Amino acid sequence: MSDKHKSESISRRDFVVLSGGVASAMAFPAILTSRKALADPTELNLLAWYGHGEPDVVSEFEATHNVKFKPKYYAGGDNMLALIAQSPPGTYDIILSDSEFVQQLNEAGFIENLNPEDYPFDDFIHDDFRNFPGHWRDGNLYSVMVRFGHLGVAYNRNTISEEEASSYRCFWNSKLTGKVGHFDWHLPTLGMMSLYNGNSQSPFDLDGAAWDEVKKTTMSLRPQVGGFFDYGGTFNSLKNGEMLAMCGIGDWITGVLEKDGAPVTSVVPEEGGIQWTESYCIGKDSKRADIANRFIQYMLSPYGQVRSAEMAAYPAFCVTKAGQAELRKVNMAEAERTGQVPGAANNPVTLIEEGRIHYRDIPRQQSLEDWNDFWSEYKNA
Amino acid sequence: MRRDRLVTWLLRIYLALIFLFVFVPIATSMVFSFNSDRFPSLPLGGFTWHWYDMVYKDPDTWEAIRTSLLVALTSSVLATFIGFCTAYTDFRYRFRFKGAYLALALLPPTIPLIILALAMLAWFSKIGISGRVGSIIVAHTVLCAPFAMAVIRLRLQQMDRDLESAAWNLGANELAAMRHVVIPFTLPSIISALCLTMAVSFDEFMIAWFVSGLNKTVPVMILEILQGNVDPRINAIGSFVFAVTVTLVVVAQLLFSAKTTTTRS
Amino acid sequence: MKPRHNMDIYALTWRLPVLVWQTLFFIAPLVFMIAMSFFLVKNYRMVEAFELVNWMKMFSRDYFWDSYVLSLGLAALATICATALAFPASYALAFMVSDNIRRWAIFFLIIPYFTSYLVRIFSWYVLLAEAGIANGVLGYLGLGPFTMLNTAFATIVGYMALTLPLVVILQTLSMANIDRSLIEAAHNLGAGRLRTIVSVVVPAGKVGLIVGALFCFILSFGDFVSPYYLGGSKPPTLTILITDTTKSGQQWPRAAVVAVTMMATLMVIAYSAIRYAYNRRQP
Repeated sequence: MSDKHKSESISRRDFVVLSGGVASAMAFPAILTSRKALADPTELNLLAWYGHGEPDVVSEFEATHNVKFKPKYYAGGDNMLALIAQSPPGTYDIILSDSEFVQQLNEAGFIENLNPEDYPFDDFIHDDFRNFPGHWRDGNLYSVMVRFGHLGVAYNRNTISEEEASSYRCFWNSKLTGKVGHFDWHLPTLGMMSLYNGNSQSPFDLDGAAWDEVKKTTMSLRPQVGGFFDYGGTFNSLKNGEMLAMCGIGDWITGVLEKDGAPVTSVVPEEGGIQWTESYCIGKDSKRADIANRFIQYMLSPYGQVRSAEMAAYPAFCVTKAGQAELRKVNMAEAERTGQVPGAANNPVTLIEEGRIHYRDIPRQQSLEDWNDFWSEYKNA
Repeated sequence: MRRDRLVTWLLRIYLALIFLFVFVPIATSMVFSFNSDRFPSLPLGGFTWHWYDMVYKDPDTWEAIRTSLLVALTSSVLATFIGFCTAYTDFRYRFRFKGAYLALALLPPTIPLIILALAMLAWFSKIGISGRVGSIIVAHTVLCAPFAMAVIRLRLQQMDRDLESAAWNLGANELAAMRHVVIPFTLPSIISALCLTMAVSFDEFMIAWFVSGLNKTVPVMILEILQGNVDPRINAIGSFVFAVTVTLVVVAQLLFSAKTTTTRS
Repeated sequence: MKPRHNMDIYALTWRLPVLVWQTLFFIAPLVFMIAMSFFLVKNYRMVEAFELVNWMKMFSRDYFWDSYVLSLGLAALATICATALAFPASYALAFMVSDNIRRWAIFFLIIPYFTSYLVRIFSWYVLLAEAGIANGVLGYLGLGPFTMLNTAFATIVGYMALTLPLVVILQTLSMANIDRSLIEAAHNLGAGRLRTIVSVVVPAGKVGLIVGALFCFILSFGDFVSPYYLGGSKPPTLTILITDTTKSGQQWPRAAVVAVTMMATLMVIAYSAIRYAYNRRQP
């Protein structure tokens, strides 16, 4: 009995030592993180396409406002919505959204109301951009457009001539069998197929018959396809010649490669091109909404617009006239390459006015799920 | 006999080819980490430290390394503790459902990581612990504990069962015997389990990618570069990670073989 | 021998940690995932429910079954390749080198598992590209160039990078433990090398061969990186389907359906393999 008692007292002491060890192991992370929290600048959580939180875009803003961006990158609007939905409210301070998804962000209550007077709407280069679909609701502003670009035929100039590339038909060219790549997202590719089918009024507003036709057209492209790629894969395959044409992208990829000396380029074909549009929103319940708003203003300033236009990850057009002017001042070559000079044939505003550009949208008569589902089917075909 | 020799030589060449297959990608990665071209291709461009410099100057890399080290250290301690307990239980006790008990202890590495990742993220969000550095630690402990258990169990196998009972007969209680006999005997394997589990955690990206939220570990950062702006930083970071983990493994291995010599005495 | 009955505090202290931890953070997630496969998704948010709709939806899709068959086929092919490619190497390591060299060889085979798998796959991407190093070497020999990236071949190469060293290790360890006198006896009875391998080495090393093959199957079946980055997801495997499904609008329940199906498949295969390995095992 006494022996038992003795052993218990010792074992209790040993137990304390042991649990102390475990407890300090558990506390270890807390020690490290709390020390860090004292020294570091405010952290700003950004949810965006790849590249928006990289130093070439944000480092100056970080320095002047003593903030540190913590980016999380997504690929595609559905992916973005899924990421927000699975994190607690208030996780993301700034959300860069594809414009066509702003409406859904709003309906799901993921974003904050904005004050229109904070932004240079008067200076926007096109009327549509001030009042982009879904950005306003009941007279309240929820999102501001910051940049945009065009999607069309992206191709290798050594294989395909500009003339051949002037129609989506070139994707079916026998020179490209097994060499057509897809950016792995349904919306841009299916939009192009829809345009190719002649749905030029509203490529994303398809009735049952037109949707069936789009599916059929898309399926007929499948034998040409060499692979499905994320951003990095798209890049590499075009650069190393693994893929000779790419469906679902535009200058946002080829522009970077072109600057790097690769023989690739993008054109808006005769059936029309698709415009991708990116807008900033402030995440619901963000504790740093104030600084987030200042960042949005920064990106809309002429200087910020140039940062966006010259972004290392992927270039875009400026949305403000002052931004365009600034770009012409600091980088005339890039302004000319992208048609952001008065009178250029490929001037983005001119193209819109000629009716050759269609804003990318979510499917109007089908659900996103239907399109996703078809995309899975297509990849498996 | 001449034919035998020929076969022997052919097999040796074959063996060399297998090792070539295993090490060519590692060597390639190191070579390209010093190559100036942004997109790796032949012929090689010039020699450069640029990618290392870029990685070195990028605060995000250091943040990721800090996170990775924190995760690896903490989860290796927890996993080794759990692994030790399990190994000792298996060594010393017999009880009902021991088979099921051991299955539970050893099963995690046989479940594909992507499935574990999906399940853990869903469960962690459900109980409210997702998106933190702690989530990765918890998940990695699950994954690493079986490895620690295996390493320590092997060492216990070499321990004379009478050693512990001799200590009891000399009047030591169980904990004292544990402290003075079992732990000293297994110490090399404990350290080697720590190194091994740290290395496993330091390289795991699937679960970390799913459950980490905004906290990137080094492998998650590599994955994001691969998905995003692919450049030879991957190779630079990879070579660095290689150096770290190989050091850990070498330490583990040295301690493990040091043990084999002492056992025989 | 045992100083006390089993159920004392001391014994529990050692027994409980793994039970508690793995139940909370390993079993619970897997059980929850099974439950999740019956949940619904409304407005990008999961709603707890008990509906069969996700199962019906996935099981009624041709692409799901196509991916299923493809993933099984690719993993099986990888298993055959790895087992066949590893065997001569393991044989050489088990019977033709000294203990010391074998130890070092195994050590070097472990090393790749401590380099980033992603980095190695990226290296293979560079090596296998049309203008890559592999084609450069082949061109030197007057062959090629071959299209290797974005094909099943590249996926299998990736699987080999993942599994081959492990398979060699497991095979070597099991063969090195074979009683040498068995082999000598076979030689004395006049059996040639090949006969000895077929009738002595393979049966005696059966467990290692099967466990190696099983690990290769599990790892390949569950890998997402090779088929995505080397195979160009053309066509996609179940693992790619899982990531695609989680990406597209929070369809976690459907991803769970895929994951649960994969797990069930693996359990059946692992159970049969283990039974086969230990069944009718002759000394």
